[in-house]
Amino acid sequence: MPAWEGVSVLGVGTTMFGKQPELTGPELVRQAVFEALDDAGVDSVDAVFAGTVFGAPGTIQRALQTCGIVEVPIITIENACASGTSAFHEACRAVDSGAFGNVLALGVETMTHHFGGAIHPEPTDREGRQGLAMPSIYAMSASRYQSVYGVTDEQLAMVSVKNHQHAVGNPRAQHQRVVTVDEVLESRLVADPLTILQCCSIADAAAAAVVGRTRDGLGVRVRSSALRSGALWDHRSPNVWGWDIVASTAQDAFTSAGVSCSDIDLFEVHDAFTIGEIVTLEALGLAPVGEGALLAESGHSALGGPQPVNPSGGLLSRGHPLGATGLAQVAEVVWQLRHDAGSRQVDGAVLGVVETMGGGTAGVDGNGCVVAVLEREDR
Amino acid sequence: MNNVDLHTLDPRPRVVLGSSVELTGSRCTACSYPSTDVLSRCPECSQPMTPCTFGARGRVFASTVLRVPVPGREPPYGLAYVDMIPDEGSGPRILAHSDPTAGALPPGSIVELIGLTTEGDPLVRGCEVDG
Repeated sequence: MPAWEGVSVLGVGTTMFGKQPELTGPELVRQAVFEALDDAGVDSVDAVFAGTVFGAPGTIQRALQTCGIVEVPIITIENACASGTSAFHEACRAVDSGAFGNVLALGVETMTHHFGGAIHPEPTDREGRQGLAMPSIYAMSASRYQSVYGVTDEQLAMVSVKNHQHAVGNPRAQHQRVVTVDEVLESRLVADPLTILQCCSIADAAAAAVVGRTRDGLGVRVRSSALRSGALWDHRSPNVWGWDIVASTAQDAFTSAGVSCSDIDLFEVHDAFTIGEIVTLEALGLAPVGEGALLAESGHSALGGPQPVNPSGGLLSRGHPLGATGLAQVAEVVWQLRHDAGSRQVDGAVLGVVETMGGGTAGVDGNGCVVAVLEREDR
Repeated sequence: MNNVDLHTLDPRPRVVLGSSVELTGSRCTACSYPSTDVLSRCPECSQPMTPCTFGARGRVFASTVLRVPVPGREPPYGLAYVDMIPDEGSGPRILAHSDPTAGALPPGSIVELIGLTTEGDPLVRGCEVDG
């Protein structure tokens, strides 16, 4: 996989994240897209790749016509939680290939229009038909880690504490308050051992990025982006669900970018549940298998630590509107690399990583995973 | 829209209920890959698959008790990934239900398939290790 040359994120934009049932999809999209276009200093794009999971057919065209974005190619992508980052990946590829000049990557979800709580399991899936809601998939990973590696309830809770602390500095996050380990553990049990404060909230939001050719002194360069779907996840898999796909995708992205995990200054990763961040950071290479829980406990992954993870507050605090999440992660890394992240700024950030993993299909190690390496451009 | 009742197209693993309870599926004639689906071609090596049974014993890989509402189901209910242990070869990893009142089944423990829940899900319970 060759390194990319000359592909940059020229501008980003997001809505507020949270339960906003009074807003329509088009209203959310307009906010995110106009902010991204203004940020990039452009008033049109040559193509659009958009991620949405629960949107009705035509959701993206229905929204974009109200932005005046018509006639150009518009491709809608569903890749579970990785839908937004899959759209970003394809936008980058389209620019890299020379097929298009400026490309809009967009994600939108209006989840409160569909759900009151956890996402409903898919009845055509063999495990979804058994009532395997997403919290229970991650809870089983947590039970495995507790049994095999001795991960404690407190260590799980520390991930939530860290990310909620980070979100205090993020005015667009759904939950902007500090929580304690005791509060996390005493909150309502959702799926043993995960409590409600260890689970992301459903949300309504949109996020967008304009990707184009690198211009002098503007934007954030895309060093690499990798996309994979999961291998068969079965009786031969010693790792918990999702570990291997993240590791393989990260290896692709790091190799292509010519970097290693230790070079990265900050990460925005898929912490839909506390155990998800622990497993993901191991798979990215920040810790050996079974030792990912030490990263939050030691402060390694906290703001002020050597490699902050989810300075935005992550999905646990920002909320998780599936299609919008990946582009919100991209936006956070872009703001961080421009040194525009305010009180949650990672000092001196030069290299940032976005990772999103989506699932919900039985039998495979995740529906899709994207890992992208972004770099601050020299000014 | 046709008249097919989608609820009859049940994607869950097939459990035979009779004098003994057994999980059925198929196995690759070349590489022995096991599947809960009755497949004609192996997803691992593309060689022919043949129908088979995987017995009733398995080992818990991971487990939980789900305590939030899911459409059509009453929480709480136990869930576990179970690696089936047939008499010969490897068995598939399946999702199974368990009694939630006993808490989550310990990972690594041996369980047996005892039938189906009232909703039609594979149901397991812990059993004594007989070596």
